[in-house]
Amino acid sequence: MKSIDLFYQGEGIGEIGHIELDADATFAILKVRLVEKHGVAHDVLMFLEGEDEPIDEAILIGDRATAKGLKVHVHRCRHVEVTVTFNGETVERRFSPSATVARVKHWAAEDKFGMSDEEAGEHVLQIAGTHDRPAPGTHIGALTDGKVCGLAFDLVPDERVNGASGGAA
Amino acid sequence: MTGPDQRAFEADVAKAAFRLGQAECRWRLVAVAWPFAFFGVAAKDGREYVLRLNCAGYPQMAPTGGPWDLKTNQILAFELWPRGQGGRVSAVFRTDWKNGTALYLPCDRESLVGHDNWRREMPSKIWRPVDGVVQYLELVHELLQSRDYAPPLRSAA
Repeated sequence: MKSIDLFYQGEGIGEIGHIELDADATFAILKVRLVEKHGVAHDVLMFLEGEDEPIDEAILIGDRATAKGLKVHVHRCRHVEVTVTFNGETVERRFSPSATVARVKHWAAEDKFGMSDEEAGEHVLQIAGTHDRPAPGTHIGALTDGKVCGLAFDLVPDERVNGASGGAA
Repeated sequence: MTGPDQRAFEADVAKAAFRLGQAECRWRLVAVAWPFAFFGVAAKDGREYVLRLNCAGYPQMAPTGGPWDLKTNQILAFELWPRGQGGRVSAVFRTDWKNGTALYLPCDRESLVGHDNWRREMPSKIWRPVDGVVQYLELVHELLQSRDYAPPLRSAA
């Protein structure tokens, strides 16, 4: 039986996790394994990365996997209310917890604040009130707990590394 | 006999965050000759650049290193380095910095020396032992995928 690489993120899981399951296992089986492994709540919803709706847990993992495996998110929040602030203006929208930081940035920087692709590339999302700039592949649900289904970002310049030229040996 | 730094490194490259990058063809571990680890990192034009990182003292000490030529077993010839168009790639892949032995990044052990201002100005790029080598590779991969990236002056033979 072919096994599938599953990479997962979610509420209370911390860093990205990995598990292998047979292609004919269901998402319900994956959920049981994650409950056992991480003690996540039994009522978590499961999402595929970037998908807005939770996945039907009766579906077979092999039916949705690609050659690179599958990226999954587990969270009790059905949505995450995201705000992004830039230059004193705040925009807000609901996202699935499995939305990536890259997707949220694209929406905020280009769709809402009208940046060009080039300008957007010079900015990053920073969690409001911190110095944390999550990697583009981070699921936003991994940045929230199941009690507060919300997240506030600032869109900030990604400072270039500058220094004296002709560096010393 | 492997030391604690090598064992910590081996544990980190077995973690899901590193394996996900490999599964998505963003980077791969090419070889280890401790304390050096060799990684291939994908650029947006399909080229793969090999980085040699000195990981002695990992993860409490940040790695240091830069582009490497596996065929000649020496620093990659400068005309084969990724270039920028005057932006962030050029600022990091500096051939005038430490003779090409270190990338000009705050998470590089050698480059941080003498740049205490980086801790204040760009704290998110300072080495984080908890994230390990994935942090270094994420930053390099992002640069090689950015709009500023340009291919080297000449192609490898």
